[in-house]
Amino acid sequence: MSTSHTMKQRLKHNRPSLRQNARPPKQRTHLGNAFTAANLPVALALQHCSNCATVQYPPRELCRHCLQDTLLWRSTDTGGALVSRLELHNSLWEYFRRRIATAPWPIASVRLDCGVIVLAHLAPATFGAGITTEIPAATRVQVFSHTDCSLNAVLIAVDGQTAIATRAQRRAIADGLGLLEPAHKTGGI
Amino acid sequence: MKDYSGIALTAPISFGYAKQSPKGAAWFIGRTLQLMLARAGLGKDDVDGFAVSSFSLGTDSAITLTQNFEFSPRWIEQLPYGGASGILALRRAARAIQAGDASIVACIGGDGAAHRSFEATAANFSSFTIDASFPYGGGGPNAAFGLITQRYMDEFDARREDFGAIAVAQRYNANHYPPALLGHKTLSLEQYLSARPIAGPLHLFDCVMPCAGGEGFLMMSEDRARALGLPYCTILAAGELHNAHREDDIQLRGGWTEYANQLWAMAGLGPEDVDILQTYDDYPVISMMQMEDLGFCGKGEAPQWLKTTDLRFDGSGPQQHKLAHNTSGGQLSVGQAGAAAGYMSVVETIRQLTGDTEGNQVPGARHAMVSGFGMINYDRGLCSAATILARSDR
Repeated sequence: MSTSHTMKQRLKHNRPSLRQNARPPKQRTHLGNAFTAANLPVALALQHCSNCATVQYPPRELCRHCLQDTLLWRSTDTGGALVSRLELHNSLWEYFRRRIATAPWPIASVRLDCGVIVLAHLAPATFGAGITTEIPAATRVQVFSHTDCSLNAVLIAVDGQTAIATRAQRRAIADGLGLLEPAHKTGGI
Repeated sequence: MKDYSGIALTAPISFGYAKQSPKGAAWFIGRTLQLMLARAGLGKDDVDGFAVSSFSLGTDSAITLTQNFEFSPRWIEQLPYGGASGILALRRAARAIQAGDASIVACIGGDGAAHRSFEATAANFSSFTIDASFPYGGGGPNAAFGLITQRYMDEFDARREDFGAIAVAQRYNANHYPPALLGHKTLSLEQYLSARPIAGPLHLFDCVMPCAGGEGFLMMSEDRARALGLPYCTILAAGELHNAHREDDIQLRGGWTEYANQLWAMAGLGPEDVDILQTYDDYPVISMMQMEDLGFCGKGEAPQWLKTTDLRFDGSGPQQHKLAHNTSGGQLSVGQAGAAAGYMSVVETIRQLTGDTEGNQVPGARHAMVSGFGMINYDRGLCSAATILARSDR
């Protein structure tokens, strides 16, 4: 391996801002990986306890209610109510920094009807809203998962009336947010 | 609950604040310990209890530090509780001394700030943050607190000016506290309002600056402190509750609501008797929640209450009601030195109550409420703690 090549590798690793392609955070725990796997075939899958029927998120090793090892990943109703929302103008992660350089990045917290609180990327366009804060708290929303370009499932919140029944519809929304493509830097390493 | 009588807090040290530092956490913790011992005229082997908090010890821990610093405590405690660490250390050390398990306990929070170390801490904070919050772009707790602040504003009709009142008054205090990293700059409400946005309603001066530093104090019996000729303060009450109100959609209150009355009763005081309030201020909204939940005003009333309350250490503001708040400038103006930030308010309060300050003395301070809040795991902070401290000769 040439010296310049090694140097490039090091820079790519240590200086994310120099990378040609920046992607969303790839790191997950094994439970996060299981979340991704469970969400591949359906719009939204969460851990359900087959002992006490509690639904939970973020994923855990055991049921948060009865502490039994009786968890199953099950397809879950996507409905919920908006708790809070905002636009990020700053991030520690290069992918988001590059996206934010174009436009602030909207996210939301949602209380799903199954009882859990989720943090999700927000698609304000589906609400017909220009500014994220114009969407009032308690607005009905739907939350589905989609695989991002780091190959992890991430959650996306859309208006309650948005059509998300088909894979193509969900993909179009994820694509619209820019989650399916890395953030490029011209002349990056 | 047994009271905390007979326990002294002394030898307050704030050490080595720097925006960035190549030194490791052990350097900040060890230097803080050395200065505490020098202040008290003690040697390493006089310390038989050691409580420590740090985010950046890496593979080291309280026990490896004992060999690192070559001393032999018979009681050790490591408290990974972020902004509640200092008060939790104080509670545990007080009980150890009362029980005779230790006689002199060094309580220290210290963290380094290597290049990009904050990013590493944020990316690996907990399993929930790794799987469910960091991937959504929020840097550390900014996103969670942006969401909380936005909801608080919606719910209680709070405006940015209301949060600004806290940040601006704290900067005034920092202007009189030489070690504050931002103390050399003034901050006006106009500057606060025109700062660049960070996350929704949070702008630059709503967010703390991560930095390096160490904070520590010694705990021992009052008799011992008197024998050593050390100025000290005492504990009137202390409490903690964690993961409280877990059914709430979003954090608009903390565990303080459940034990604040108990603390006031134990101390035989009310909010009106307090000369100093030190809240954990990683964002102004959580300071407001502490003011509300600890009984200084009602829920959702902090924005109104702040309009008539002067938070400056010297009471030089125009408002009628005076309450010195975050007298050194808080983390918003001093900097957030990792886990040391959880000890900062206790250390500053000991300085205030023993008259050991450098230009930011609250005149005639006798009683202080110190509050801690820590560990934003996913969508909310989990730890709450509070203590009421008093001058030894009150």
